[in-house]
Amino acid sequence: MEHEIGSHQLAHFAGLTFHLDTLMMTWLTMAIIIVFAVLATRNLKIKPQGWQNFLEMVVGALLEQIDANMGPRGRKLAPLVITLFLFLAVGNELGLIPGMKSPTSDLNTTLGLALMIVIIVHILGIMNKGPVRYIKHFFEPYVPFVIINIIEELAKPITLSFRLFGNILAGEILLLILGMLVPYVVPTAWLAFSVFVGIVQAFIFTMLSISYLSNSLADDHH
Amino acid sequence: MEHAIIIAASVIGAGLAIGLAAIGAGIGDGAVTAKAIEGMARQPEAKGTILVNMLISVGLIESIPIIAAVIAIVLVFANPFAK
Repeated sequence: MEHEIGSHQLAHFAGLTFHLDTLMMTWLTMAIIIVFAVLATRNLKIKPQGWQNFLEMVVGALLEQIDANMGPRGRKLAPLVITLFLFLAVGNELGLIPGMKSPTSDLNTTLGLALMIVIIVHILGIMNKGPVRYIKHFFEPYVPFVIINIIEELAKPITLSFRLFGNILAGEILLLILGMLVPYVVPTAWLAFSVFVGIVQAFIFTMLSISYLSNSLADDHH
Repeated sequence: MEHAIIIAASVIGAGLAIGLAAIGAGIGDGAVTAKAIEGMARQPEAKGTILVNMLISVGLIESIPIIAAVIAIVLVFANPFAK
């Protein structure tokens, strides 16, 4: 097959190597989201119609989840979470168009996003709770728990990134292979399922980010 | 000769990996979905919340089987041991 699994178009710049096809798909995703947002927010009406209605549905559902999990201080992080969800949803679906591949089918993209979330969680935790209390909470409830807590902190970016990467890459490869084996019927069914999987995986990534971020916000009671 | 053994072992390994992953994913997802549907039957008003939590749990449970599927795909198509 002319499309080798796992091979990327490379670009060399300033001594570093980039996956040019992943970068171009990422830029395309960004362009789609920006155009979508501009279309939805011009001529804002009290009674939403069209693009505005659709975007309000998405933002409303996510804000509900944020309020439920992060409490009242969560609204400050809402733009990050909503942008993350929109990028992942559009990015995952883009690979289903024949001839294109998702930016999230490259481990670099998903690992970058997962590391961003984990680093933000740690930095916000130290900023909001103070460094002493934040480090101390690794040793609660008993001191030996520090090993478990550190392993959990290492596992978070790994599972976050590999879950998304595995789902999207395996879906795309299966689409290619089914297209070669049983054309027209089975790939259509798998394509429909992959649309669903793309949205679900974006939602799972976002929900887990909300859950991790909620740990780093200051608690009122103590 | 060694190349043939490497290829054959990789293919058998890939088949085992994806087969066991399918069993694990099937049992795990089945257990979660059964309990979720039972909960929905008891309390139809909570259908939305239970459905959302069920989808999240299925996504989390399936993460390791998906990684096993990626390993199987890598072994078959982009084998680092062959050549």
